[in-house]
Amino acid sequence: MDHSSSLEKLLRSVAITLVLVFFLFPIVWIFLMSLQTNETILRIPPSIAFTPIIDNYTALITGQLRTAAGSLQLNFMQNMFNSVLLSVCSVALSLVLGVPAAYAFARFKFRLGEDIAFTLLSFRFAPALLVLLPLSLYFKTLGLTNTYIGLIWVYQLICLPLILWIVRGYFEDISPDIEHAYRIAGNSWWRTFTRISIPLAKPGIAAAGLLAFIFAWNNFVFALILASADKQPVTVGALAFVTASGIQYGQIAAAIIISITPTLALALYAQRYLVEGLSMGAVKG
Amino acid sequence: MTAAATEMRTPVKQSRFMRRALPYILSLPALLMCIGILIPFFTAVYYSMLRYRMNLPAMKGFIWFQNYVNFFTDPKFWNTVYISLTYAFLTVVLELLLGLGIALLLQRPSRFNNIASILLLLPLMTAPALAALMWKLMTHPDFGVLSYLLTLVGIHDFKWASNPDTALFTVVLVDMWVYTPFIMILLLAGLRSLPKAPFEAAALDGVPRSFVFFRITLPMLMPYIITATLFRLLDSIQQFDIIYAMTQGGPGDKLLVFQVQAYLDFFQATNVGRSAALMVILWAITYALSNVFIKQWLKLRERAHGAH
Amino acid sequence: MFEKEKGLFDAFVAKKISRREVINGAGKLGLSASAAGMFLTQAQTRAMAADFDWMKYKGTKLKLLLNKHPYADAMIANIQAFKDMTGMDVSWDIFPEDVYFDKVTAALSSGSTEYDAFMTGAYMTWTYGPAGWITDLNEFIKDPAKTNPNYNWDDVLPGLRASTSWNGVPGGELGSADAKQWCIPWGFELNNISYNKKMFDKVGVQPPKNIGEMIEVSAKLTKDLGGPYGIGVRGSRSWATIHPGFLSGYANFGEKDFNVADGKLKAAMNSAGSKSYHKDWVKMIQDSGPKNWSTYTWYQVGTDLGAGASAMIFDADILGYFMNGGDNKEAGNLGYAPFAANPAAAAPTPNVWIWSLAMNNAGTQKDATWYFLQWATSTEHDLFGARKMDFVNPVRASVWKDDEFRARIDKSYPGYLNQYEVSAPGAKIYFTAQPLFFDLTTLWAENLQKMVAKEINVDEGLDAMAAEMDKKLSEAGLG
Repeated sequence: MDHSSSLEKLLRSVAITLVLVFFLFPIVWIFLMSLQTNETILRIPPSIAFTPIIDNYTALITGQLRTAAGSLQLNFMQNMFNSVLLSVCSVALSLVLGVPAAYAFARFKFRLGEDIAFTLLSFRFAPALLVLLPLSLYFKTLGLTNTYIGLIWVYQLICLPLILWIVRGYFEDISPDIEHAYRIAGNSWWRTFTRISIPLAKPGIAAAGLLAFIFAWNNFVFALILASADKQPVTVGALAFVTASGIQYGQIAAAIIISITPTLALALYAQRYLVEGLSMGAVKG
Repeated sequence: MTAAATEMRTPVKQSRFMRRALPYILSLPALLMCIGILIPFFTAVYYSMLRYRMNLPAMKGFIWFQNYVNFFTDPKFWNTVYISLTYAFLTVVLELLLGLGIALLLQRPSRFNNIASILLLLPLMTAPALAALMWKLMTHPDFGVLSYLLTLVGIHDFKWASNPDTALFTVVLVDMWVYTPFIMILLLAGLRSLPKAPFEAAALDGVPRSFVFFRITLPMLMPYIITATLFRLLDSIQQFDIIYAMTQGGPGDKLLVFQVQAYLDFFQATNVGRSAALMVILWAITYALSNVFIKQWLKLRERAHGAH
Repeated sequence: MFEKEKGLFDAFVAKKISRREVINGAGKLGLSASAAGMFLTQAQTRAMAADFDWMKYKGTKLKLLLNKHPYADAMIANIQAFKDMTGMDVSWDIFPEDVYFDKVTAALSSGSTEYDAFMTGAYMTWTYGPAGWITDLNEFIKDPAKTNPNYNWDDVLPGLRASTSWNGVPGGELGSADAKQWCIPWGFELNNISYNKKMFDKVGVQPPKNIGEMIEVSAKLTKDLGGPYGIGVRGSRSWATIHPGFLSGYANFGEKDFNVADGKLKAAMNSAGSKSYHKDWVKMIQDSGPKNWSTYTWYQVGTDLGAGASAMIFDADILGYFMNGGDNKEAGNLGYAPFAANPAAAAPTPNVWIWSLAMNNAGTQKDATWYFLQWATSTEHDLFGARKMDFVNPVRASVWKDDEFRARIDKSYPGYLNQYEVSAPGAKIYFTAQPLFFDLTTLWAENLQKMVAKEINVDEGLDAMAAEMDKKLSEAGLG
């Protein structure tokens, strides 16, 4: 692939530019909106000439929203905290449970193995709506209503199947020969798993963990139905700006920008593991 | 795990019991964690066999499969099946093609490509319910920047989600914007972890690029493609946020997919029986589709490992 | 407090002297405006406290489920007065309007005891009541031991009291003698015209007086303004598309949604009068409605008016009210007018949306909860909200007579009081109360969308829709 013509290079650049424009233009536009009031956002025709203000951000961060009707309390930062807590804990738990299981399905053929794997996947396709009402009844009985623990447990439905099935694919691609060689050198199974198998599957684990984090972050139905206002994630917090006295586009835009920041930071951090994929390729079957 | 850690030093001497128990020890915690969900699931299946509307308590009763039978004779139900499958098919196919294309473009590791691949995840990081609100504004005929850009190229009064002829196009476009990055990142990670040797050999032999792509890259990538497609399909056939926020299932009944109908039946009409039956049918469809995918996936895996 | 001042404020609260006299009197006594406000609150508390043991449930903790709304804001701004008067503690969960009713349904259907009282619309009680989730409040209102003597229930506008009570019988008349009071009206919206005076002046038109004029004026505005469109109405696939302007005009022709005979319901949307009204409405949207009409919900209708994208709306009056303030481009340019769609009608017949307070039937401290409900719906709180906050429209007749409130509205919202007064006598819910309300009204909106998109013809479409509704009604044992 090294001998590409200059025409091909040009076509590639054009294609990448088009892709970036399609996916990033709306994000840039949302960012621009976050620096405006409704008055300049809602112009005919829309324009990019405006004096940027940071009021939307200060309102979200300090929790004071000044409107014509007076000053209102917001708890957007509480929503942020909830999102971080729920997503981090859910993904961490999913990784702890999902990675060993993924390894088991990839390495061993065992009775009921595929059935268990498929059952775990099937949790992913139980529509949330189907289980929500019974779930809220059982949560009440179990005392899990309005607890972080209960929510983290339910979030496993989003995270665990995703992590399990993506990571499984990566384990399958690692040749068992490397593990065998390491074990024959006198290392225990557990040591082999943690020193060889997991590092080799890191790109897959990073990708799966990142995606599970994003899906957990964007979910709000579970928290909405199963918890009180103080445990709601950012999406519910941002919807608060669709009010009876009008929709506050600037604040929704700022809320979106703030809410994607932690995920973006995580993605940039995880990126180094995603990149490792290539160097690892050499040792794979 | 202590047993595994202190066990004998070579795999040959590993106890028979441990060898047989290990996969279960590794996989059961995950299963146990989720198994609790089966109870609400079966409760919901039971609801689906009830005539159960919460604001008509006197009507409540066990009716076996009557809710299902009612669906099969209802043209509106078949419209829902049709539109859900169309939506899922269109989004998955388009996102797969686009995601694969982008992954190939960004395949070579370079600082630019790495950063670009992360930035392309931004739409996925935007909660779909909020993303749809923003798209609704961007497609507004007066304030909307996209509508404005269209007028610059001579397209006036394009009605986006509000016109029955373009509504599906619009929500599919938003879905593609949000979820193509999902497929892209999985395939990119897959591409980058493919072994180099076959490609180097092919380059030495001067094998045509199209041949390399269709005979080496694609088959080797196939397990990743299947995983990514499967998860996208599971979510797409259950799409709610984007469609509900953009059109609430309209115009008319153009976008009345399973989840939107079931949501309205449940939360507005409080018709628990009907809503549960609809969801069970959706569950059965996804079950069948995933079964097909998983079988294919296992077959491919078998073949790949046979080739070692 | 000094006796002289106390006497002054008590005289005001007892409506013996006007607001201006109080402020003047306070000035003479050397009180600042804020101190005067504080004394006023205390005086209100004392007035309410007369002959009633407000401290009976001291120490009780209540929890409310609220929608993010100016009415909730007004309540929170004044909640200290309630806490001081009763010694109770009140906390609340606020959810965005977008997801609010999902949260309510989830909480009530699971039998949660977490919330003692919550905000609701009157239509929702047609579900919550029969489902057994809310308490009939007549048992409290009619019990002098539980309700303070100054509560003055009859002060609440009669149309609203009737619209929030229903006997639970499908098709049963609202406000009948055997009706249960499912919730207490809190604040309400009626549907009339809000319009951009500048644009109307520019084109040289007056607010339309009937549906024919509305079609004409909207078309002229659309044509002559060269940008903004003539008439903003909702169009999304939801029951909420039917209930504001559309149903208000529909009812003005004496048209009904359902006919009730022998306890059976039958769809009435395919009458000749209904067909003709539908044709007018559809034409009006096609000619001069919003281009993306079928996705339009209340906030887009409002946003377009506020940002100058539309010249007039036929929707909730308070939507026009809110668009005349804040950072809206057209703030200060809006006017209000009553609207009777039928040229032969004597007065407008606006359908109303009533934000109300209801009591969770699973709640464990109902008597204490009623203390909160009667305070939150009292004249005193209504007055506070109407004067100082955006607690419009108030539901009590006495508040509409308050000089300070009237002066505030008249100053910034020209025509608002007039549109209210002309249409208030006919303002009530014009839907038939029945359990399938949400399914069937959403189906109505769906068919309206198909008519506007020219996918179906109005006459045949309405016949088919009525047949489909009759089938659903009979399946549910109602038709």
